[in-house]
Amino acid sequence: MTDNETKSSVRGDRDLANAQDIIVCEGVSKWFGDFQALNNVSATIKEQEVVVVLGPSGSGKSTWIRCINRLEQHQEGRIMVDGVELSNDLRNIEKVRSEVGMVFQMFNLFPHLTVRDNISLAPIWVRKKPRAEAEEQASSLLERVGIPEQADKFPGQLSGGQQQRVAIARALAMEPKIMLFDEPTSALDPEMIKEVLDVMKELALSGMTMMVVTHEMGFAKEVADKIMFMEGGQIVETGTPEHFFTNPTEERTKLFLSQIL
Amino acid sequence: MNSANSTSQDQFSSDSLTDVSKNELPPKVAALSPTEWLKANLFSNTFNSILTVISTAAILLIIRGLLSFIFNPLRQWSATATNMRLLMTQAYPEHQYARIWVSLGFLLFLTGISLAFWRAGRSVQLSQVGKRLLALGAFILLATLLAPFSNKATIIWLIIGIFIVGIGFLLKPSHEDKTVSSLTLLSGAFLLAILSLWVIPYGHHSYLSTRTPKILAEPGTVAMTTKLPWTIMFVVAMCSYFLGSFIREKIDETRSKAVLSATWLISPLFLLFLVLRDPDFDTGHLLSTDIPIFLFFSIVGSVLLLWLTRPDIGEKGRVISAAILFVGFATFLFQMLMIVRILTLVLAFFALAAPTFSGQKPARIRYTKVWIASMVILCWLITAINTPSTAKVPGDFFIGGFAITLMIFFFTMVLAFPLGVLLALARTSKFPIFRIISTTFIEFIRGVPLITILIFFSVMVPLFLPDGMDLTEIAAVTIAFIIFEAAYLAENVRGGLQSVTRGQHEAAEAVGMTNAQKTFFIVLPQALRVAIPPMVGQIIATFKETGLLAIIGIFDFLYIARSVIPGQTQYMGSTRENLLFVSLVYLVICFAMSKASQRVEKRVGLGER
Repeated sequence: MTDNETKSSVRGDRDLANAQDIIVCEGVSKWFGDFQALNNVSATIKEQEVVVVLGPSGSGKSTWIRCINRLEQHQEGRIMVDGVELSNDLRNIEKVRSEVGMVFQMFNLFPHLTVRDNISLAPIWVRKKPRAEAEEQASSLLERVGIPEQADKFPGQLSGGQQQRVAIARALAMEPKIMLFDEPTSALDPEMIKEVLDVMKELALSGMTMMVVTHEMGFAKEVADKIMFMEGGQIVETGTPEHFFTNPTEERTKLFLSQIL
Repeated sequence: MNSANSTSQDQFSSDSLTDVSKNELPPKVAALSPTEWLKANLFSNTFNSILTVISTAAILLIIRGLLSFIFNPLRQWSATATNMRLLMTQAYPEHQYARIWVSLGFLLFLTGISLAFWRAGRSVQLSQVGKRLLALGAFILLATLLAPFSNKATIIWLIIGIFIVGIGFLLKPSHEDKTVSSLTLLSGAFLLAILSLWVIPYGHHSYLSTRTPKILAEPGTVAMTTKLPWTIMFVVAMCSYFLGSFIREKIDETRSKAVLSATWLISPLFLLFLVLRDPDFDTGHLLSTDIPIFLFFSIVGSVLLLWLTRPDIGEKGRVISAAILFVGFATFLFQMLMIVRILTLVLAFFALAAPTFSGQKPARIRYTKVWIASMVILCWLITAINTPSTAKVPGDFFIGGFAITLMIFFFTMVLAFPLGVLLALARTSKFPIFRIISTTFIEFIRGVPLITILIFFSVMVPLFLPDGMDLTEIAAVTIAFIIFEAAYLAENVRGGLQSVTRGQHEAAEAVGMTNAQKTFFIVLPQALRVAIPPMVGQIIATFKETGLLAIIGIFDFLYIARSVIPGQTQYMGSTRENLLFVSLVYLVICFAMSKASQRVEKRVGLGER
């Protein structure tokens, strides 16, 4: 309890206990051919919550996070994002996607556009913002992620860490309610990881709902409200960082922690 | 021991560091002396020496054969010279010939401005130019000695050769670092060529197509009707280049480049159907039919599109667009003007694309402007094509020769490219129906020889057309070319589409783009960039394939060279000379296109990194 209080003092006034559910998964399952990638995953994520998903590779973390904005389609169960159920209806999917920002492991910036255009393209054509306004927003977002001077370069001219920060800015430009991070630092050189994590921390402090798949234990300890541990397509254990790192209940969690720490 | 070792290593590394800082440039490789170069590259061992000797002999023999063919007194080069206008434009009326020059002048004007705006031309070292001139002069000297010239001709050619070698020597060693723009060199060459028209006695040849055709061949320089227009053309090109470099600093460059590109696409249509074809407009018909139709479509269409591009239009918009498309297809069931059918279909496509480009007021107004601009162009063109021409030319078309080759090539490229992109998108689409249609079409077209398709279109298709619909042979053949090239371009584009990674698709989807937006803004720009090299290859192939027009009896460049000129009583048996000339023209143009494409590739690659 005390711990919770200290955190909320750091992160401003958040009342997680009374916050509304923004992502609800009920019995989500997915198969790739015969291989079951997700097995009956049920979880609830509240508004302004920061959830870190941990687990060994191949445990289905990325698949799950990609199901939430329907880059992958789940085959059983229900996923509700901000009150909209994900189904085959194209309009629902586009609506959900414009509310959910996503940051990829390999950045996936558009190589033929400048950094500024990378960020302002979707606001102009999806959010239908006037171009001037969108470009102004792009500049202020670049300021926020700390690289305002790179606006007119092409992605190929930036370092990995800078590219990932542009990718975060691009996702933020859509003013999403939720941000999904799919291993955002795994493709980076060690000295660039910090600059990306700093941006993510700042984002968490500003009250963004975040779901992060990562191997950065330090980030998980410091920033997460909740840690979910996955293995074999299932959520094995859910808890606060304190509980998870100091006193895990499940055997598999203990094994995983002993391997990485 | 250990420590000593490490210190020596340290010393070594520090030494090498200072070394590097001293020599910032890589060390210069000493140039080989000519004998060393010969030894290293041509006579490095016995086998290579034998190869060198044999191939040199073969090359010299080929050159000698070619020269003795070209300069044989039996050659009727006057057949080509006399019929130059026939080769270029077929029998375009003499008194309307100014139209040809105006068209050419406009294209050169555009070229000049574009060269200035795109800052074409690279700087070439004068020493390099000198080397080239040396090589050229040496070649001329060698060729003169090989060729069976008369004494007088040999002396003239030797003097020319020595002159060029002399210039080469002057340029080569002294001006190591001086550079000159390649455009300056090019325009210098053109200037020399045009000056030679005024000075050198090429002879005055022409074919007077009066009631009894008469051939004119007089000594002296070329006719005033040739050298004067060409001089004006040169002046136009130079002036437009300087004009371009003067105004490019003063106006928004991106926008004017876009305007220039659009002009390149649109102006040939106007030159062909307005300037060259000289339609005889009927004011009554214009006022009663053409202008009302234009006004109706542009006003109603603008209002509709302004409404359809509202961001909050939703499903209603799609239903209405689909309804317009349905009406567009339904118009073919009833008797009505073709222009109405075409414009309705175009409106339907604009309506369907509206949600992709919807947005705030400026975006909507921009979209409507595009619509009005396309209405102006379409109505204008269709009206011009439907009006009878005043240029009376034998055969059923108003122009022929090299001009028709260029025209069919232009239409093929401009229309086959979008069709090919559409086919490629359909082939990679998620919808099975599109995939099946597109794959069948592409595989069918690629499985049939082009000449078969051409014959089919020129002979059979006009028979299949419904009553009241009319298609000239030229139009039918152009359509044949378009679908053939589109199938091949589609395969090139498909290669490009496959090179766009899955991550790019996901990133576009993740920011909520619709499929159309993803394709248009993210996938196609990257795919086309990758597809440029194979597409240029295809474009060059298309240009050469226009030669097939001769086989189906269209009065194109090759047909005139192969069949028309040898049919003139004075020039029977002059086929070989004409074919050699035609090959030379094709060769020069294809070579220029491939050179230009290499530069485009380099430029496009730059933005990516």
